[in-house]
Formats: sequence, C-alpha cells, structure tokens
Amino acid sequence: MKDELEAFAKDALEQIQLASSAQSLEEARVHYLGRKGKITEILRGLSQVPEAERPAMGQAANQVKQSLSEAIDARKAELEAVSDANEGEPADFSLPSRRRSEGHIHVINQVTEEILSIFFELGFQTATGPDIETEYYNFESLNIPADHPARDSHDTFFVKPGVVLRTHTSPVQMRVMEKMQPPVAVVVPGRVYRVDNDASHSPMFYQIEGLLVDERVSFAELKGTLMLFVHRFFGKTAKIRFRPHFFPFTEPSAEMDVSCTVCQGKGCRVCKHSGWLEVLGCGMVHPNVFRHAGYDSEKYTGFAFGLGVDRIAMLRHAIPSITHLYENDLRFLEQF
Amino acid sequence: MKISLKWLKDYVDIDVTPEELAKQMTMLGLEIESIEQVGGDIDHIVVGQILSIEPHPDADKLVVCRTNAGREQPEQIVCGAKNMKVGDKVPTALLGATLPGGFKIERRKMRGIESCGMMCSARELGISEDHGGLMILDPDMTIGQDIKDALGIGDVVFEIEVIPNRGDWASMIGVARELAALYGKTCRIPALDLKESGEAASAVASVTIEANELCPRYIGRVLKNAKVEPSPQWLAERLIAAGQRPINNIVDITNYVLLETGHPLHAFDCEKLAGHQVVVRRASAGETINTLDGTLRSLQPEMLVIADAQRPQAVAGVMGGAESEVGEGTATILLESAVFHPISVRRTSRALGLITEASQHFQRGADPEMARYAIDRAAQLMQEIAGAEVLSGALDAYPTPAPVREVRLRYARCNQILGAEIAPDIQRQHLASLGFQAQGGDDTSVLFRIPSWRNDVTLEEDLVEEVARLFNYENIPTVLPHIQPSETVLAPQETRIRALRRFLAGEGLTELYNWTFSSPEAVQKAGLQDTCGDMVTLENPLSEKQATMRSSLIPGILANAAHNVRHGRSSMAVFEVGPVYLPEEGLPTQRQRLAILLAGSLEPKHWGRPQTPVGIFDLKGILETVFDFLGANVRFEAGTFGPMRPGQTAQLLASTTPVGWCGQVRANLLRGYDIESEIFLAEVELDLLLGREKAGRTFSAIPGFPPVLRDLAILVDRNVPAGEILKAAQQAGGPLLREADIFDIYIGKQVDANKKSIALSFVFQSETQTLTDSIIQKQTENIQKRLQKDFGATLR
Repeated sequence: MKDELEAFAKDALEQIQLASSAQSLEEARVHYLGRKGKITEILRGLSQVPEAERPAMGQAANQVKQSLSEAIDARKAELEAVSDANEGEPADFSLPSRRRSEGHIHVINQVTEEILSIFFELGFQTATGPDIETEYYNFESLNIPADHPARDSHDTFFVKPGVVLRTHTSPVQMRVMEKMQPPVAVVVPGRVYRVDNDASHSPMFYQIEGLLVDERVSFAELKGTLMLFVHRFFGKTAKIRFRPHFFPFTEPSAEMDVSCTVCQGKGCRVCKHSGWLEVLGCGMVHPNVFRHAGYDSEKYTGFAFGLGVDRIAMLRHAIPSITHLYENDLRFLEQF
Repeated sequence: MKISLKWLKDYVDIDVTPEELAKQMTMLGLEIESIEQVGGDIDHIVVGQILSIEPHPDADKLVVCRTNAGREQPEQIVCGAKNMKVGDKVPTALLGATLPGGFKIERRKMRGIESCGMMCSARELGISEDHGGLMILDPDMTIGQDIKDALGIGDVVFEIEVIPNRGDWASMIGVARELAALYGKTCRIPALDLKESGEAASAVASVTIEANELCPRYIGRVLKNAKVEPSPQWLAERLIAAGQRPINNIVDITNYVLLETGHPLHAFDCEKLAGHQVVVRRASAGETINTLDGTLRSLQPEMLVIADAQRPQAVAGVMGGAESEVGEGTATILLESAVFHPISVRRTSRALGLITEASQHFQRGADPEMARYAIDRAAQLMQEIAGAEVLSGALDAYPTPAPVREVRLRYARCNQILGAEIAPDIQRQHLASLGFQAQGGDDTSVLFRIPSWRNDVTLEEDLVEEVARLFNYENIPTVLPHIQPSETVLAPQETRIRALRRFLAGEGLTELYNWTFSSPEAVQKAGLQDTCGDMVTLENPLSEKQATMRSSLIPGILANAAHNVRHGRSSMAVFEVGPVYLPEEGLPTQRQRLAILLAGSLEPKHWGRPQTPVGIFDLKGILETVFDFLGANVRFEAGTFGPMRPGQTAQLLASTTPVGWCGQVRANLLRGYDIESEIFLAEVELDLLLGREKAGRTFSAIPGFPPVLRDLAILVDRNVPAGEILKAAQQAGGPLLREADIFDIYIGKQVDANKKSIALSFVFQSETQTLTDSIIQKQTENIQKRLQKDFGATLR
C-alpha cells in the first residue's frame, strides 16, 4: 500500500509538471484531487487497511494530497507567467486613447472664480444685483447726479425713463449697504453694459466689484488687499502701482496698474510702451455714497474697487480680441 | 490735452528727463496717453536757398532746382511744388536724410533727371498739416543751418487725459501749477502789462447779465484797430504743438490764451452787435442763431445766449454766431471772458449736438478769477501782436462774487483714512504748495481756503486726496485688513451656480457665454414668439439685432450651434447659465436659467468602437443628474413647446410648477439655422430649483444579506408610459425590493400590433435574513397582480 502510494505520488507529480496549459492542469487536478479523483479513492480504501497501519497510511495519503495540491498551484503560477508574457497581441501604446469628452467652463467664468476665491479667503462674500437698474442706484446714489460730466464716460443703454442697463457693478454697493449694517465685505461679479462695440470694447462685459466697510478701514488696507490679489493672481513677481484718478463715488480715488504681463515691465505694444497695465479703479468710499446708504461717514470708512474681468482674462491667456470671448466658437472655448 | 514740454518750461523749471517727468505726472494723476518726440527723427535737413528754377524737359508738373544748402556745390533737386520762387529759403533734405516716419532720401532719377535731395513742406517735416507747397522759411535764416535748430523744433509733447473733476488741468498753467507744487518751485504766471488807451470801454459798449443764475461773471473788453493777419511763427508753432491749426492772429490769441489758462474766450465784431450791447440772457422761444459752423440752430428758453440789443449773437459757452464773427474788416473787437453755469452749458451743448472746446471747458466749471486774467492776457497779446488799442476799463459784470470756500482738515482723520503717519506740518505743506491757504488752526486741525480754480474740492476727503497725491500713493503703507465674518449670507444661490457650472463641465459639457441682447426676429426664428415674445426693449440699441434684452436662452444657444456647425462641428454638448429678463412695471424681473444643447455624439471618435448617436434619453439623463445635484425632484411630462418636435418634447415639472422644457428641435426650425443634424435642447428655470435647500441625507445600513435577482416580462398597450409601470412595480414590491429597472422594450412582429413587451429586472434584499424562494415568489406575484390591475399587463 505504501509503495503503491509513493509510486502514485511520483507519477502524479510528473504528470502535473507535464501539464502544458491551464486546461490540462485543471484536468490533472480533477483527476488526482477531485471528488472522484485518485486521492479520494485512496482515502476511501483506508478502511481495507489493517487498523494499526491506518493512522500512518492516512497521514501519508494526506501528505501526498498536500504536496500534489502545492505542485498544482506552483505549476499554475508557472503557466500563468508564461501566458501573461506571451498571450495576446502586444498593445500599441502609440494608438489614440479612448477618452471621455471634456467639458470646459467659459474662460470668463474661470477667471471670475479664480479672482473671487482669492477674496473669499480674505473674508469677502458674494453679493449680486440686477443687470437692469434704476438710474438712482446706477448714478445718483453713487454721487453721479444728472448732468455730471462723469456720465459722459458711461455710455448708457436706456430701457425707459429712470431705468438703465447698469454701466458698472457699483450699484450693488448701495443695494448691499441698504440691506445690512457694517461690517460689509462683499465682492460682486456681474454683467455690465456700455454703448460701445469694437475690437477692445464689447457692449456687454464683466466686472467684479469689491466693497469693504467697517470702522477705521484705510487706504493702506485697500492697497494691501489689492496687493495680495495681484500676487495671488499674477504671481509674486508682479509689481503694482497706485496712482491718483477720479471716480465720483470714491475719494481719494486711484487706478491700479500691474507691471505688464507680456514684457514684464520693459515696454511693449500691449502696455503702450509704459511697462504698466491698467487693471482696476478703486478708492475710499465717498461720504456722499455713505449718506445715501444711511451710514455714518464719521464712524465708518470703506474702500471699493472694480475690475474688468474680460481684460484680465485676455491678458492672462493672450487673447487678442474681445470678440472671441462672446463668439462661442468651440474651437476657442475648448482651449481653456 | 497736448502739453509741449518747451512751452511748459515757460511756467516752471523742469530739471528731469521727459521720461521721468511723465512718470511723475502719472503719479500726480495726470495720466499720460502718449509721449511724442517732435522732430526727433528729423536728420540731415538744413536751410537751403533756391538759386534757380528750370522746367523739367520731360515732365510738365516737375521743375529742376539748384539749391544752395551751404555745401561746396549747389544741389540739383527735382521738385513738384509750385509755391516757391528763386531766392526763397526752404527746408532741404540732403542725401542720406531721414524724414519723420523713417523715409530716407537717396540719389534718384526723376523722369531722366538726377535729383540729389528733397525740398520739404511743413507736413513732410511733421510739424504741421500744411501741405500746400514747400515750407518757405524766414529769409534771415542761415543757409546750411540744421532745420531743427533753425525752426526750434525738437520738442516733447505729452498727451494727457484730463479727469472730469480737474478742469483746471486742461491748461498749461494748470499743469505747471501742479508740477511746481511737486517740485517745490514757483509757477511763473506771465505778468500782465496791459496799456489801456484813453477812451472808456463803457462809452463804446455795455454788458448786462439778465440770467445771473446761469452766468455768475461776464467780462468784456473793447479793442480797436487790431490788424487781423497771420500769427507770428512762435505763436503758430505753439498752437501746432498743441494740435491746433493757426487761423489768424486774433483767433489764434484767443486759442492760445485758452491753452495757457484753460479759460475760453470769444471775440465779437463789436460793430455787428446791435446797440453795441451785450445782454446775457435766456433765449426766447422761437429764436434762432446761425453758428460759426454755418448751421442755423433753433434755441430753447433754457439755453443761455449772448445777445445784442436785438438777437442772439452766441450760444453762451458753446459757439459764437456767424453774424458777429471777427474778420479782416473788423475795426472794433469786443472780447468776452465769462463764467457760465456748467450744467447749463452741458445741457445746451447736448441739446444742440454741438460739443466744442469751449463747452468742454465750461462744463467742467470755470474759474472766475482766471476769467479776468485770461481776458487781460489776451488783450495784452492783441496789443503786442496785432497792434490793437485796448480801451480803458473792463466791462466786468460780477454781481455776486463767488463766496470764499473753506474746508477743515483734521490731521488724525487724514492719517486714519490713508492708514499713514503723515506729520501735520507735512500735510499742511502739501496743501499749501497746491495753493490752499491755511486760515489758522490748532494741533488737531487746520482750516483751508480753497483756491478759485479748485471747484472740485468741497469736503475734507478732497483735502485728504490732495495730501495723498503730493505724499505719493506709493509711500502709503500696504496693510492687510482684518475682516470680520458676517452672519448674513447675501447670495447663497451664487455658490450653487458656480458649483453647477463645475458639475456640468465635469459631465463633459462646455459652457457658452452670450451677450444678453436679443431681438423679436431672433425669438421668431427660434419659434418662441408665442412664449417669449414679451421682451424688455432698449431705447438706444446698438443695432436691430440687439434691440431687446433676451427672454430666453434658446435663440442664443441655437445661434451658437449654427455658428459651430458652419465651422465644421458635428458633435456638441454645451450649456449656458445666465439671466433672462421679463418686463414688469418698474424694474424687469431677472431670472437665472440653464440651457443645454446636445448634437452628434457624446463620445469622442475612436478607432476601436463606433460612436453612439446622442438621443433624447441622453438629454434626459443629463437633466436628471442636474436635478439630483441640485436636490430637486423634477418630472418629465409629455407636452408641446414651440421650437420642439411634437411627441419628442417634455415639460419639466417640480411637483406642479413648470420649470422648463426639453426635447428635440423641429427640423423645419433648424433649417433656418442651416443645421441638418438632430439637436436636443432643454431650458430650465434655475431660480426655483436653486432656492430649495438640498435635503440633508441620513445614513442607511449597508445590507449584510445576499441580493436575489428576478426578471419579469409583461405585455401592455403601447400607449402605457413605461415610467408608470416602473413606479407601480416599485410600490408593489414592498420594502424588500431594492431596485427595479427596465432592461428591454420590444415592439414588433413577436407581439400584437397595439402591444409592447417590457422586460423588468428586480433586486430583492433583506437587512435581516437571507431571502427564500417563497418570499421572493410572493413579492413578484404582488408586482405582477398590481401591473395587471393598473395596466392590464399580461405575462409574456
């Protein structure tokens, strides 16, 4: 019995080694280890064995079973390694892949979100107001009375007497201040409109307004806030300068320039050889604006700024004409 | 405003380079539009004298000249001009010379005759627009002298943008005053040395102001025997440098003084003024005036005019009348220098559609003190240049002198607003340098008298800006604010819209961004005239195509699709989020909408697999994911909508509220856009959906027992909505039914003509036990019975 078992084991191990495919190996497994296989037969035959030898024989048979099982696993691993290496056509990785269609957020909104997120970090929140505004909010409340020369630079679309397409996002300043008491820290993204249409002007464009009102807000903080914005958005090497300007709703007023992103300040066509790009207008909220809002201008001070997103998007991505932004050509939109 | 550096140096010493000066002006708020080097590119051009002029043998229009340019031999130059004679001195460009704009002079043959240079017109030298012929030079000029030295060209001209509140900057003196303050120097305003003659002006003419509120001051001066002739060269050059065209000495002097002082003057022919009277009054109804530009204009009672005893002779502050214009025959001039109400001038100028140099100055506000200086300065120049006799006394009507204006500056407030530490004496010093006179004060504040030319300064904040400008904005510290968070959330929907954009882009859709204009034609073209025809109309649109504000996103998005199809695009998955406007009393209603358009296939082309064409269920799928994302429960209910195919259109309903439409666009509508492919389109009202707070989600246990799968195929009438069957099955399946789905729909030969076969699949699972066959059997029977009862479904 013992010899028979040894001979069987030797033969079985050889056969397992000879199996040349996963299929023949599986056949061998069924043949030797299956429910109706040889080992089962042998173990059943133990009842014929004298009782004294039975434990030893049983143990031996189980050892054989164990070693066959291991041999099969080992052979299986060998066969798998061979098939992994050799089966199937090698993939040609130079072939085009299968990608999902990509979506794109419009470049204006990408830039808007990026700008807003910088101000969110500082503690500003979004406010909005209507595109179609009253003259009061768009002009009078912002210290631009009727017949003020500053209206000349706001070529205004009229809807009906007293109602206009807003020429800037500044009316939202007033709407917000009417709604809440200081501290106010808002950024206002939105469409604005001017009667103007050429390669650098669109009758509709996009602005972001900022307003901070609290006790003791200073021009130095205006500079600090906008400096942080510029460094985050244009990079740490961007230089800025503030120079005096005039806006009816701020006093003192300033325009902020950023060193030209094209020539790094050396002077080029884009910056009209000045080395600087005019990026936004800003200033300390005019006391008359506070008066319209019902704020005490002795107690509160504030700053406001407004920037044109179209221009910033064009600068950032070297877009040559504003018409691209509103043409909705997918060959353009899919670039960003 | 063009500022000639040479001229500017008459008033203030400037020790810095033009580039440095430009920077410093910029930092004062004088924005530099451009810097032009006049004559900077002129080279090798000298004073030449014409020795002979002979006809060209082969060209009627050319002559051959010999010109002495101070070299050993005269130059032979072929020339096309006619205005010169032998002996004239002219600018002569030698071989190798460059003209403005880079044109190089070379030896060349003109119709067979060699030409070794060029004689130039003033325009060719870039110093004026005059191209009437060669520039004939002063006979005293030295032959061979460099033309830049001879003419004194070689100047730097700054074009500055004058901000609306600083009318005083629109003058040489205004700019000089500013620079003098910056450099701590004196501004040299030309001293007056006017010699009046015996006769009293008041004996010749009179000035009366009848409309005090529109004309605070009117000064007239009477000049006699002025010789009207071309201006001397220095005067002409200055006007040219400022971008103006010299006319005659009298007109040129008024223009010169305007450039110098910023104060507009007007000269009348005194003899043409009826009664030699000047009456400043409102126009009477029906009055007209023939203005200097040769136009007859109707005047309105709110317009201010300068009239004589009978009729208007000038529109005050805007333009003079042709009748009293000064010309060669003028013997007596009445010179006007006045202050007119800015708003009145602005309104009149707009009403007449007549924007002039004068109206632009007056609408910024004029300086009553400068009015007096300007007229005396002009009278003096007319005396010196045109030999005019200035009659004694000015006719100065100034009924209510401008009140003294004073504003207090608190040093600490100034520093608080600026966030700077500027010492009180520095603050005072900056303001004093700009002409603000301290009227006494204490340790904390000082009262300033505002100079007459600073009508922009009325508040303490205005003084703060002046301090800041002179201190230089760059020197103010840069500090980050401490912002207190607010409990009020002003625009929560904005955050959700931003998230929605990102979500849709993540789903593979590209965002469009249209102008919000529209037109009735665009709405009609999109088949929306019945639903979206009521629009907000613009009073002054840019064009017919932009006559209204959009009432739907659909016309825009279809036009975008057409644009892209025209450029060869067949597949599109695009969206737009933005406002539409609906007319209301008062302000229109503004609503946020979402539009989605699909065409072609959602999959990119690939070599290994064919593209699946997009269908209505792709659109439905995207909409459902959007609604899930927004936490909104929206139903799709078959309906009809203008632009869309009947039977391929669904209305979107949030419970019972309509929130939009989706469907396939009608082919005959698409033909209008030259689109032949199928287009699937949806428009959704976002406001209603964004307004809902997304429901909080609660954990549900992950089942630990195995799921059991069952299929069921039934036959129902073809018109039974499959979704209803699914819904009924879900209800009948009880709590053990985890999932129910439709995996096949069959209509065809295998079933009756009016029937369809629907194959449903179910997943049953319990949280407490392994399900037995009998339990499952009971559940499926329940479903089966329910479907039979509700829809007459039979097992297939």
